[in-house]
Amino acid sequence: MDELLLIPIGLPILAGVVLLLSSFLECRRGVGTIGVGKGLSIFVSGVIGISAVLALTAAWQGEGEARLFSLLKGIPVYFRVDEAGRLFVTLVSIVWLLVTVYALAYMKEEKDGKRFFGFWLLLYGVLVGLDFAGNLVTMYFFYEMMTLASVPLVLHDGSRESIMAALKYLFYSLCGAYGGLFGIFFLYRYCDSLTFAPGGTLNLNAVQGQEGILLTAVFVMILGFGVKAGMLPFHAWLPTAHPVAPSPASAVLSSVIVKSGVLALLRAVFYIVGTDFLRGTWVQYGWMILSLLTVFVGSLLAFREKVFKKRLAYSTVSQVSYILFGLSLFEADAMTGAFLHVVFHAFVKCGLFLTAGIFLHCLHRQHVEELGGIGKRMPVMLWSYTLLSLALVGIPPACGFISKWYLGLGALQSETGIFSWMGPVILLVSALLTAGYLLPVSMKGFFPGKEGKAAEIMVSEEETKCSFGMLLPVVLLGGTAILAGIFPNPLIRYASDFAGKLLGMKGLG
Amino acid sequence: MELVQNFPFMSIILSLFSGPLCSILNGKWAKRVNTAVIILVGAMSAAVLVFVLDTGEPFIYRMGHFPAPWGNEIRVGVLEAFMAGFFCVIMLLCMMGGAREREQHIEESKRNLYYVMVNLLLCSLLALIYTNDLFTAYVFVEINTISACGLIMIRQTGRTIEAATRYMIMSLLGSGLLLLGICHLYAVTGHLLMSNIAQQVQVLAATYQYHTTLMVALGLMSVGLAIKSALYPFHAWLPDAYGYSTLSSSAILSSLVSKGYIFLLLKIFYRVMGFQVVTESRVVNVLFVFGILGMLMGSVNAIRTEDLKRMISYSSVAQIGYIYMGLGLATEAGTVASIYHVLSHAATKSLLFVAAAGLTDASRGNHFKDITGAGYRNKLAGVAFTTGSLSMVGMPMFSGFISKLFFAQAAVGHGVKMLPTFIALAISTILNAIYFMKTVIRIYTPMPKSEGRTISIEEQPSKSAALLLFVLLNLILGLNSEPVIRLIQSGLKMFD
Amino acid sequence: MNLEYLLNHYEEAVAMILFGIGFSNLLLQKNLIKKIIGLNIMDTATYLFLALKGYIDGRKAPVAVNGVTDVEAYVNPIPSGLVLTGIVVSVSVTALMLSLTIRLYRRYHTLDLDEITTRLKKEGK
Repeated sequence: MDELLLIPIGLPILAGVVLLLSSFLECRRGVGTIGVGKGLSIFVSGVIGISAVLALTAAWQGEGEARLFSLLKGIPVYFRVDEAGRLFVTLVSIVWLLVTVYALAYMKEEKDGKRFFGFWLLLYGVLVGLDFAGNLVTMYFFYEMMTLASVPLVLHDGSRESIMAALKYLFYSLCGAYGGLFGIFFLYRYCDSLTFAPGGTLNLNAVQGQEGILLTAVFVMILGFGVKAGMLPFHAWLPTAHPVAPSPASAVLSSVIVKSGVLALLRAVFYIVGTDFLRGTWVQYGWMILSLLTVFVGSLLAFREKVFKKRLAYSTVSQVSYILFGLSLFEADAMTGAFLHVVFHAFVKCGLFLTAGIFLHCLHRQHVEELGGIGKRMPVMLWSYTLLSLALVGIPPACGFISKWYLGLGALQSETGIFSWMGPVILLVSALLTAGYLLPVSMKGFFPGKEGKAAEIMVSEEETKCSFGMLLPVVLLGGTAILAGIFPNPLIRYASDFAGKLLGMKGLG
Repeated sequence: MELVQNFPFMSIILSLFSGPLCSILNGKWAKRVNTAVIILVGAMSAAVLVFVLDTGEPFIYRMGHFPAPWGNEIRVGVLEAFMAGFFCVIMLLCMMGGAREREQHIEESKRNLYYVMVNLLLCSLLALIYTNDLFTAYVFVEINTISACGLIMIRQTGRTIEAATRYMIMSLLGSGLLLLGICHLYAVTGHLLMSNIAQQVQVLAATYQYHTTLMVALGLMSVGLAIKSALYPFHAWLPDAYGYSTLSSSAILSSLVSKGYIFLLLKIFYRVMGFQVVTESRVVNVLFVFGILGMLMGSVNAIRTEDLKRMISYSSVAQIGYIYMGLGLATEAGTVASIYHVLSHAATKSLLFVAAAGLTDASRGNHFKDITGAGYRNKLAGVAFTTGSLSMVGMPMFSGFISKLFFAQAAVGHGVKMLPTFIALAISTILNAIYFMKTVIRIYTPMPKSEGRTISIEEQPSKSAALLLFVLLNLILGLNSEPVIRLIQSGLKMFD
Repeated sequence: MNLEYLLNHYEEAVAMILFGIGFSNLLLQKNLIKKIIGLNIMDTATYLFLALKGYIDGRKAPVAVNGVTDVEAYVNPIPSGLVLTGIVVSVSVTALMLSLTIRLYRRYHTLDLDEITTRLKKEGK
């Protein structure tokens, strides 16, 4: 029993509930709250700071575990630190720290700041719980809680459009989660335990003769968790939900919450079912085809999209499926690439959405064409944006190159027939498309051309004064994107160790 | 004999005699008497529960002077006391939630009659729960039917009278079969007390005598009670009866009346026939199949209907299907899951009915188009309805999720029945999600110009309190299921 | 053997057939009054069956005239008691059904339940 593990989960949830209650009471008394008070910002940053530090300590200190009350007989709410949890918790915590700084500045002029930050804290606690979850049912529990806690963030501004988007998001997520639950029912029957173990806990004797059914169940599960990860054919919620959410919310939605779908898949496939059972089956190929299709279609849709945040959302659809494709190969290098891409994409996409937020918030521009000539006015920001874009496209020395390199390498080495060469080709095409939809913004921004000049004049001095709190995270993320590309070795080592452990254990067991 | 041991009998008698008392009071006083009786009965059941948990074994209360084979008995274990207490809580909350609708729908002069019916209903439910005599059970089944019929038709429109007639017809078919089953059982065993019948049935089953008669009796009783509790093909009366009666009636009917019959069936399975005999018979398979059909068809009908209350009523058909599917698994775990679902469904369905009434109150009508944006006009009802819907579709934290997991857990390793159970659970969950989420989306779709009136939390204090308590009950069942399950399990052990 | 058994226990067979007639009438008749008649046939059949079970050939009704002579002299009294209770129940249920029928008839001037339902549906919500 390691109580340290419970604090970063419990503290933000508790603090979030307190904030929500106080916001509810204020609302009842009719005191309108606009902006973010000093007390509130200290409270929020304090809670996030403390819990992030504790979460990171708990994650890197060793193999802690904690058991709470039993949800069902024999299935407790159980938390444990392991490689996957460590990776994702670190990711979530860093993203959350940066975005909180940004959000505190961003929400200054929006209404209902307390409510927003209430759910914000709640969501952080839930995500840490999700990452540390030690068995499938606990994970499912926090997975659903995450959906519930993130819906209010999407509908924050209360417009008709945002509410419909949030409900669409809710409906997709719920149905997806049921796909997952359906799989859990089956796995409960065929697995020795639902506690995560690298290599899987599937009892092959029990499966004997019922492989077809189980494969179907696993595929339904992959599809179900894939909804959250934006995998085709259930990706439609992403481009609807992202543009209407406040930018800090869409940043975490895209960088962290979408990754929770990846985590859930990872847990289910590598920690419960095991790759042995799936290797070479139609499930693996189906998964591969879907993820490759998503990579391509996502990029294509992003290329055609004019609304900046929607474009980024489609880009997320495509990029997350890079990760899913990497996982679906069951090959060490590809998985290394997938894990690297988890980290890189989280940082890069977070930075990109924050940039979009600045465009929207300070300049009130949401269309790509309107962004001509802003390079002169906001050079620091546009430089950061360019670096982030380069990283996402995968141009060395920025970080995206490394993850895509490993993905391609893994695909070539894997013995998956046609996919071993088709995968890298599609990844390349998609990278070209990525360059095609991200870089024009930089180009237009720095070299507006004739018609852009007119737009440039319209950007007043006043508007470009963006607060330091909003700029800092973007710059930091831009810098990280390059630095991580230049010094990737510790991360690569961690990722490949992890990948090796997941695949290697299965050889022994 | 201790004082507490008199409580079950006293609570039956109390609710029985408070009925006639209400008939001579005016509406206001009748309501007070009714509330007091429900609270008192609830408190007594709690005391009995504590007592039984303390002694750890069931007790038998002899009515009249005659000993076992001849006299009439009450038998109380953990499960009986718990159920009685739980039913009282639900009934109290339903009555609280529907207070305003009763004033609208029921004529002033007839209001006290409503409380007569509710008291009689409580009495018959308690009797069904406690009695150890099959024929007494039959008589109270009829009393239950009559008072439920009264609850439906107290709001006098053509729809309700027609619904009440259909309800009576189906119920009478069911009780006819039940009575015939009891007669057959009496013919081969010569007893009416459950425990004595059980002994004889064991002897007969061991020697394989009268096997056909036993199976026929079991089948007749199961089918009879299944008809009465609206198992799928016999559900035609249900949507009308629940959909058009006054709010507290539909809430009580859906959450309690059908559950009383299910509890009786459970007693017949465990205490009268012996679970062994039931497991070996094919009757459970029939129940299983119809349960699954109900789960699916109920949801399909719910998707197709355009009326909020009817939708919730059809969802009841689906949930009853869940319960029968659990019983049909014919394992201890399946039964536990079913009993848990009885609780969970009672808590959730009455919540949904009350919340739906709050929503339609803030709109022009029951129709699906009318409730657009109602979640903004009546905030508490909107939140409560969302909670209930999430529980129904099986979101963790709420009770519905736990019962689904229990069903899955019970089906695990069942061989033939496992796969159908899983598939039915999955499909029905998706179907549930479709119609409940459709409604939630509908009530939170913003309306350009609001057509209904806004209702604040303070405006209807009793309904708001009822809604909050229902939500709380749901959360308790969802987050803290372990003690409840332990109660159910120890109760089942005391059952035979 | 089965036929012989049936012939010896023809009363029970008759009770079951009557039950079937009553049951199907209650279920299938359109006319409400006929339904109620079906209900009564069904209930009576059950009482006949019960009474048969309590009857022992050559014994008297369990009514004590001139004091109790011997237990062996009477038929089993419990089924008779049950039948009495059952009759009370069935009478009250019949009364309720009849009152419902009267209400429906006053409103719709027909006894056909299906027609009432169609008319209700036509009236709309």
